[in-house]
Amino acid sequence: MAEFDTQWMNAWQDEVNNDPTLPLIGKYFTTDFLLGFGDKEYVVSVRRGRVERVTNNLGIETPWSFALRAPSESWDKFTQKVPPPMYNDVFAMAHPLHGSLQIDGDVKVLWQNIRALTWMLARMREIPDRAVVEERATRV
Amino acid sequence: MNAVREPIVGGYVYVPYEGYEYRVFYEEAGQGIPLVCLHTAGTDSREWRHQLCDPEINQNFRVIAFDMPRHGKSIPPVGFEKEDYRLTAKFYSEFIMAFCDALGLENPVIMGSSMGGNICLHLALNFEEKLRALIAVEACDYSPGWYISWLHHPHVHGGEACAQSVFGLMAPQSPEDYRWETWWYYSQGGPGIFKGDLYFYSVDHDFREMNDQISGNVPIYMITGVYDFACTPEMTEETARKVKGSEAIIMEEIGHFPMSENPEVYKEYLMPVLEKILAADREPAKASAETGA
Repeated sequence: MAEFDTQWMNAWQDEVNNDPTLPLIGKYFTTDFLLGFGDKEYVVSVRRGRVERVTNNLGIETPWSFALRAPSESWDKFTQKVPPPMYNDVFAMAHPLHGSLQIDGDVKVLWQNIRALTWMLARMREIPDRAVVEERATRV
Repeated sequence: MNAVREPIVGGYVYVPYEGYEYRVFYEEAGQGIPLVCLHTAGTDSREWRHQLCDPEINQNFRVIAFDMPRHGKSIPPVGFEKEDYRLTAKFYSEFIMAFCDALGLENPVIMGSSMGGNICLHLALNFEEKLRALIAVEACDYSPGWYISWLHHPHVHGGEACAQSVFGLMAPQSPEDYRWETWWYYSQGGPGIFKGDLYFYSVDHDFREMNDQISGNVPIYMITGVYDFACTPEMTEETARKVKGSEAIIMEEIGHFPMSENPEVYKEYLMPVLEKILAADREPAKASAETGA
């Protein structure tokens, strides 16, 4: 199972920031949002479709607009190369019938940027193997 | 000229319904048993282009796909600008039949997906004497959770929000180009139309207390993909257990828009159904030939 630790978050940040489409579809995507993988929580600072900063030092200095929280097991399915049914999409996981993902906060910001956000989260499926991830310095 | 041409022909028909004449666009191809295809919420008949063009389908069926009023090329009724659009089971089911009457279709097969699948239950209940068979794709007796205000909100881009909200209903195995083509259709609905259709899909369509009222005289084929999180295979199977004359067919590696997200996989499941409908069509002729009638 993916660790969803700081190195993994950095690997995802690299995938997002190397993606050629996000600057186009995320031109106005600027916010700080919270990602929760079980008890591991991060605030992701997005500026114009790029992940500028990820922090796990959450407090009054790290406000966020909306939050996506799900058990690690759910995210583990979501991030597979070919995710299984009911775990291939944020709305699939958030659907009241399935309920493995909780959306909180200012959901208007989420809906305003849903295309770029979905694209950004899908980059989690491109994170390289653990060995490659571990070679990188942590920046969270 | 060697230009590639499709067999689809488009047209407009005026459909009278409750004192108003709706100008309705439809496309058709083929000959044989009328097969009327219903698009999903907030989109239009383009979703059915593969089935319209498929020679194995249109050699025995007159495949017809039409745009509901306010969708695609069917213009909204006069005064739409003063309404908060909400599709109801009554209007939807009666309008489908009014369209069939306007084209003079006799005993058509109705094939609809998503809201077009759910309405099949209402058609079976109220219009069984006029129908040959129903193919209810991604359908069940109750599909809550989709009447969402953000789909029509001045601070949110309706086209992108509607399209993205359904993108994950498609299977990751479905070809990328077909999935984005479906996304594209969704991005083009009029303001509030997807949400208004979802009023039917998630609110007005609550068939749970009516399942046992269907007689079973018209066969209902309920076909659902495993990646459909709005109407899961379990929901379809549960409904099929309660509805007489219905059969649940579960498709692997496909989602909520089988006809447009992966027409090849959908065809594997659709053709046996169409074969059954053709066989039933041949039966009476064979029976009457045997008796010399």
